[in-house]
Amino acid sequence: MTALATPPVTGRPAGSSPHLLHWLLRLHRPALLAWTVFVLVLGGLLLWVGGPLTEGAVEGWKQYHACETGGCAYDPSAVGRHKDWYMYTTFAVIGVPVLIAAWSGATLTSRELEHGTAQLAWTQSVSPARWLAAKLAVPAVLVAVGSGLLVGLHHWAWSTGQGRLDSAKSWYDVGTYAANGPATAAMALAALVIGALFGLLKRNSLGSLVGSLCGTGLLWSVMAIATPHLWPTVTKFSSLKNDVPQGSGIIVDQGLVTSTGAHVADPHCGGSGFASCQARYTKLDAVGYYNDYHPQSHYWPLQLTATAIILAVTALLALAAFRLLRRQTGPSAPARKAAAV
Amino acid sequence: MTGTAAIEAAALGKRFGRRGGWALRDCAFRLPAGRVCAVVGPNGAGKSTLLTLAAGLLAPTEGAISVLGTVPGAARERVAYVAQDKPLYPQLSVAETLRMGADLNTDRWDASVAQRIVDDGDLNPKSRIRTLSGGQCTRVALALALAKRPELLLLDEPMADLDPLARHEMMGLLMAQAAESGTTIVMSSHVVAELEDSCDHLLLIGGGRVRLAGEIDELLAAHVHVSAPAHAVLAPHTVVESRTTGRQLSALVRPSSTLDTDWRTSTPSLEELVLSYLRNPEAGAAPAAKTEETAV
Repeated sequence: MTALATPPVTGRPAGSSPHLLHWLLRLHRPALLAWTVFVLVLGGLLLWVGGPLTEGAVEGWKQYHACETGGCAYDPSAVGRHKDWYMYTTFAVIGVPVLIAAWSGATLTSRELEHGTAQLAWTQSVSPARWLAAKLAVPAVLVAVGSGLLVGLHHWAWSTGQGRLDSAKSWYDVGTYAANGPATAAMALAALVIGALFGLLKRNSLGSLVGSLCGTGLLWSVMAIATPHLWPTVTKFSSLKNDVPQGSGIIVDQGLVTSTGAHVADPHCGGSGFASCQARYTKLDAVGYYNDYHPQSHYWPLQLTATAIILAVTALLALAAFRLLRRQTGPSAPARKAAAV
Repeated sequence: MTGTAAIEAAALGKRFGRRGGWALRDCAFRLPAGRVCAVVGPNGAGKSTLLTLAAGLLAPTEGAISVLGTVPGAARERVAYVAQDKPLYPQLSVAETLRMGADLNTDRWDASVAQRIVDDGDLNPKSRIRTLSGGQCTRVALALALAKRPELLLLDEPMADLDPLARHEMMGLLMAQAAESGTTIVMSSHVVAELEDSCDHLLLIGGGRVRLAGEIDELLAAHVHVSAPAHAVLAPHTVVESRTTGRQLSALVRPSSTLDTDWRTSTPSLEELVLSYLRNPEAGAAPAAKTEETAV
């Protein structure tokens, strides 16, 4: 074989960084396309819901109210269509973290480790840490931009109906609250990292997929349960003449308050206008309702606190992923002899 | 045998899982640079694990391994590795795979080497990797590895998928690389005959341990195949394996002094040597220690 005689060397100067980004986008092209299409389609639907559908539903409600007094026929289909599509898009936005968790768990790191192509990359002068950094950073940017755009559009689509649609969801409706805020976009980032971490742990697609979905579900559930307690509540006292405690929003605790100021459980009887209820309240020594809740002004503090916590957890999980990979593959530089003794 | 070792291992061990068995344990050897080394052993002996550790893809559980004078992780640019199942990105074309090699490696990349290896196999550059046969994948994987112009080339069962002609051609290519660039080549196989002509160093692994290590010439010279009467006493010599058939004793020994002149002696083949050691796990591995002493 004379094939190897003084070949010309092509390449870049020593120390220049490998073109990882280009290859990452090339290798994940189907996922990139799918995500782009998903964001564009869902974004378009949200624009449709917030624009023409909302206007149609507003018109529908106007007709309904006009008929209330006169008694005439009106078409409820526009209102129904808005309600349905608002619900579908809300579910789709909430589904983003689940989607990301599934993709990240099944393919991002697990499939490459399972098939040995990650190891192929690590023997092409790309250190495992660099590989993981690129694997996390590029999708993180795309996921942050895409999911941020979607929750932003959902918030807008929701807000266009406020005060104009009788059927509009209130800000504290569970689905609306989740789909409207940055905490869900942060959750999508957490899902990405959880999937990558399980990929490194399990090194097979199926196990990692299951782990990623469970991990994301767990973190999300914990955050959902914790959210009402992330900010001090407002307490509102109201008269027993009302059927229920006054003050709407995310309710943390409510009941009856006695003459001594003690809180007791609400028997859910109704207003004190009913004699039987009045008798029960007198027996309980109740003087009014109390309601510990979050009014709408707490929306951003709650969302941003939750977002910050999720991002902090995400950062810790990313750190754990890097440490795990380093433990699995060994150091990329010789250990320094204990110089500072 | 001076200068930087290509690979040096001390008390090297690797266990998979906290309660798993040891794939490799107490391995100590030194492979001088510039050698073509055969890593031989039965299936499951720990050959692949050893190569993976040397490639910096796994961290050892205990002990240490150094490659080209540093930790494996710091030598990535100078080491090429071809795994047993020749993983490649199935969605890329042959040409894209080579471009990726050029992009992900540093200035050492030699595109013409890769191109020539691929062209010699009549591979269409536009073919997707997923449409290639096992042998064709091996060719692309070897092209990636050789175009990197590594100082150390680690090959795990490199020839298993190749037809005899391609095998011969690839071996020729590897030997040319070793001769021209002084590349140290380490290749594993459980087919000893495949390596006998091309390798000058042997690392025999069995049961996760190094059973025999050293220059093949020295190892062969240190052993003698003996035919003697059944009652012959082999005593002062180290017996690797002995077998008695009728009135005839046949043994592989490592003589500690001059052998009895009545015995018929012959030099064993590499395959005989390897098989004798593998059949007799309790046979000592003194030559490895000896080689190590002279090496340090």
